[in-house]
Amino acid sequence: MTVSRMRVAAGLGRYLLLALFAALFCFPFYWMLVVSLSKPSDVFTFTPHLWPEWQFRNYLQVWQSADWLRLLANTLLTTGGRVALVLLTSVLGGYAFAAMRFWGKSVVFALVLAVYMVPTEVTLVPNFITLSHLGWLDTYQVQFVPLGASVFGIFLMRQYFMSLPPDLWEAAQLDGCSHLRYLALVAAPLARPALVTVGLLQFIEGWNAFLWPLIMTSTEKIQPLQVALAAFSFVDSTQPVLLAAGAFMTTAPILIVFFFAQRQLVGGIATTGLRG
Amino acid sequence: MEESEGFVRTLARRRWPRLGGYAFLAPALVLLVAFLLGPAVWVFGLSLFNWNLISASPVFIGLENFRVLITQDPLWWQAVRQTFYYTFVSVPASMGLGLLLAVLLSRPLRGRSLLRGAIFVPYVTPLVATIIVWQWIFNADYGLLNSLLGALHLPRPGWLASSTWVMPAIIIYTVWQQTGLNLVVYLAGLTNIPAELQEAARVDGAGAWATFRRVTWPLLGPTTYFLLLVNLIWSFKVFTPIYVFTTNSGGPGNAAVTIGYYLYEEAFRFFHAGYAAAISVALFLLILLLTGLQMRFFARRVFYA
Repeated sequence: MTVSRMRVAAGLGRYLLLALFAALFCFPFYWMLVVSLSKPSDVFTFTPHLWPEWQFRNYLQVWQSADWLRLLANTLLTTGGRVALVLLTSVLGGYAFAAMRFWGKSVVFALVLAVYMVPTEVTLVPNFITLSHLGWLDTYQVQFVPLGASVFGIFLMRQYFMSLPPDLWEAAQLDGCSHLRYLALVAAPLARPALVTVGLLQFIEGWNAFLWPLIMTSTEKIQPLQVALAAFSFVDSTQPVLLAAGAFMTTAPILIVFFFAQRQLVGGIATTGLRG
Repeated sequence: MEESEGFVRTLARRRWPRLGGYAFLAPALVLLVAFLLGPAVWVFGLSLFNWNLISASPVFIGLENFRVLITQDPLWWQAVRQTFYYTFVSVPASMGLGLLLAVLLSRPLRGRSLLRGAIFVPYVTPLVATIIVWQWIFNADYGLLNSLLGALHLPRPGWLASSTWVMPAIIIYTVWQQTGLNLVVYLAGLTNIPAELQEAARVDGAGAWATFRRVTWPLLGPTTYFLLLVNLIWSFKVFTPIYVFTTNSGGPGNAAVTIGYYLYEEAFRFFHAGYAAAISVALFLLILLLTGLQMRFFARRVFYA
């Protein structure tokens, strides 16, 4: 009797503690919304009000203060390019490692693993020099082509392709199917869960990208949302209401994606420990 | 006739796949070599030159950049100290909190995925956007945090405006942002531990703490090791929170300058390409051991998972 009552109490305590932490971790998002909907003068008080004042015209003002559609289009374009390119290079590369036999395979395999040890930050200076010689600075392609191959993507796809039954390939081969046809018609469609994981992680990476576009681009015509948002925050640091509205606008799409794809995202990140 | 056809086919099959793999690998290999492996090698060469990107052409100076970095650059050593401070406070804090929450969440519970999602979501939302709201929370005069501290009659630090408190503020933000990663990876590690082991310990009369200490924690060893590497590497390279929180100033008295931020400043504000390459090499060497260990771990997962 007492033991079961203690169990109930412990369970309740566990629940309360978790709810408290969950609320604490979500609070900054709520606060972003509250500040963004406040009367601009009301945030400069010593006792902040904790509820939104529903000043939607803040959003109108923010919307008119910058070419958000352009920034959004830039972000979607470069993120989309990155997702497409990484999927392509990962599917082809992963398949080659999983299903094809070729001369020097183990050397190339080791080489790709070695690339995994190179942090992007360390390559910024040489890349900046190369890309400026190519005339790629401040372009769209500089924001996704150099980032278009992912070691993690290649290995995740390889792992998935290796798990496909070998009979499939043998049957396709008897029908005179080439590797490319087999990959396009059979293997890649079967690997959809892995493709979704790689694509989602690249989408998040692309949307949140900051250091790379900060260095490689310089005009708002080309820049993604996050880089422009940081620049606004430096200029308008005295207008927290408008900044919060801008921040919320650029966070909402990720919150929506997260809401619908939480399982795949968490699964993908939990198995790799890494984004992208 | 039939025999020779078969022979031709074997020959074709033998020769063709020998190089065909490269056609599939080419797009990935070209990009990885051109933008990661190549530059990683080249950066060592660059570090031996004095090269101002805007004007003059590169001049070979041997190890001079490293000599200056080690013996004549107090800001570099300040950046190293502050990077270590940032790392060795934020990593244990976010890993510890992640582990605690993972243990609480590991048993079935109503609304479990909602709770997990609530703690995880800061990890996937854009850094710049969330830093903007945290900047306002940390505001010395009107920020929520100082209002709260004032209401509790506690001292109200200047946070981002104070050379003492700017780093703790960024660390608090980082713990908020990174805990979700540690939570989900620990949670995955916990679900891999057979429930019978913990039950057996309990049947033997071990309390909750003893069960955790003697059974769960040792079995989480590989997970902890993996997370430690991921967190340390991420943290040694930290840039974006520093840049945005300090509005590209490095904080009052440079109190928030880290190695990653210093590298950015030297390379892309002052365009000291050679010197920045030397900083890159130093950062590379600092994390090379860690990434090497991480790679072994990653390779093992890739091979045997």
